[in-house]
Amino acid sequence: MRLWTALAHRSRNFALFGMIPALVASALAAGDFAYVTNQNSEDLSILDLDAGTEVARISIPGKPAGVAATAGGHVFTVSPDSKVVRRLDATGAVQAEVTLDGGPIGIAADPARGRVFVSDWYNARIWVLDASTLEIAQMLETGSAPAGLAVSPDGMLLASADRDSDQVSVFDMETLDLRHRLPVGTRPFGLAFAPDGRLFVGNVGTDDVTVLDAVEGTTLATVEVGARPYGVAFAQGRAFVSNQYADSVSVIDLATLAPVGLIDVGEYPEGIDATPDRDTIVVANWFSNTVSLIDPATLEVTGEIDTGDGPRAFGAFIQRRN
Amino acid sequence: MRQLKYLLVVFGLLVPAMAMAHGPTRQKVTLTTEVAAEPAEVWAAIGDFQDLTWHPAVVSQTGEGGNEIDATRQLYLSDQGADGPTIDEVLYKYDAEKMTYSYRITEVAVEVLPVTNYSSHLTVKPLDGGGSLVEWRGAFYRGYPNNDPPPELNDEAAIAAVTGVYQAGLDALVDRFGAPQS
Repeated sequence: MRLWTALAHRSRNFALFGMIPALVASALAAGDFAYVTNQNSEDLSILDLDAGTEVARISIPGKPAGVAATAGGHVFTVSPDSKVVRRLDATGAVQAEVTLDGGPIGIAADPARGRVFVSDWYNARIWVLDASTLEIAQMLETGSAPAGLAVSPDGMLLASADRDSDQVSVFDMETLDLRHRLPVGTRPFGLAFAPDGRLFVGNVGTDDVTVLDAVEGTTLATVEVGARPYGVAFAQGRAFVSNQYADSVSVIDLATLAPVGLIDVGEYPEGIDATPDRDTIVVANWFSNTVSLIDPATLEVTGEIDTGDGPRAFGAFIQRRN
Repeated sequence: MRQLKYLLVVFGLLVPAMAMAHGPTRQKVTLTTEVAAEPAEVWAAIGDFQDLTWHPAVVSQTGEGGNEIDATRQLYLSDQGADGPTIDEVLYKYDAEKMTYSYRITEVAVEVLPVTNYSSHLTVKPLDGGGSLVEWRGAFYRGYPNNDPPPELNDEAAIAAVTGVYQAGLDALVDRFGAPQS
């Protein structure tokens, strides 16, 4: 443990800062908020999804990509260029940060156990960080170039998309033991668990989605989508897949796995997520510097909100504030 | 013009392009220029995927599939043809009505153009009061897929190289069609 802790060049706990934003937070509206990492302008757009406006833009140096917003009101960001992971409060105030080595990119939170997981693109591993201090607690071995991370709805499984191994690694969240290494399509990057527990993996190289039973370790189906699928989100019994090169979102029926729609969005759609009550899908358009809001029932784009430059929102980026 | 010269003179080692690997941060470049000619005339000159020789860096080219989706072209950047520096590209969107096409690089040595996972859009739009706006946009990763890139293959080098290519092409269009009268 001490060795890994020593690898973290800096690990600071901004206890003092933590108190000030708490006052600000109480002044913020309730509702759904999106935390969008803007990689090119190196900041974080906080979007009020109900009002359809950007309410804050927070400087996040180091080309942030990965993001994990938790129901507990925390937001974690990953900056691959500076290798810094940060924890912010709901208003965007930095509460803690740690500088890692390697190539941190994807992130997923495990609020129940007070942990976050960060993938290391260059070193085939996942850091297990203490969610409070961001100190390194453990390392998990993955395939080559792990990118997207996802935690199952019941909190029992962690999955990583090991891009250059064309596989998914599945870990037991209690023991952190490896449960499965499952072959998928070519170059998986983003992945997400459906509400029913099935794991959907976007394969950038084969323009399809592999559907896995991550508990049993079996492949259930492969579903064709558009060019360069990036992220997956779920609402209204449907999966929504952002197609980077097609400027669109593919819609898949979760019961039949049949395609039921194709929605035009902005250019280079990437990060995609659903609001907690699943009445809106939000997708970040990396080239257009916007997010598109989609009604998952009608499959219509209901609005757009401007962001900073190069929104990626790679992870679970929507949080409900009560 | 410095970047253009770099593009033309460099042969380098023929390292296979690592089209699959890339660094962590995708870059974007958008350049535009305005010309006096109407969009239809400009599109007639630059809207054929099988003819990029309007760009001063492209000496000649071959290709297959016309302007159909998945059409390919190989650009020759010297008078050596396929024995000199080349760029292989594939068309993935084409809309003559909107005067826009989109393509990806499938093969290029990083010594020729220091990028990976490169995609690009070329679009002609009408200007209010006559003339055309030509927009060239690219999205790509740097040439070096691993951590701590050498300076000639870092993010800045990739942006500079793509900017140089676009600028040279757009400048050639201004030379050819003239700037709009203000």
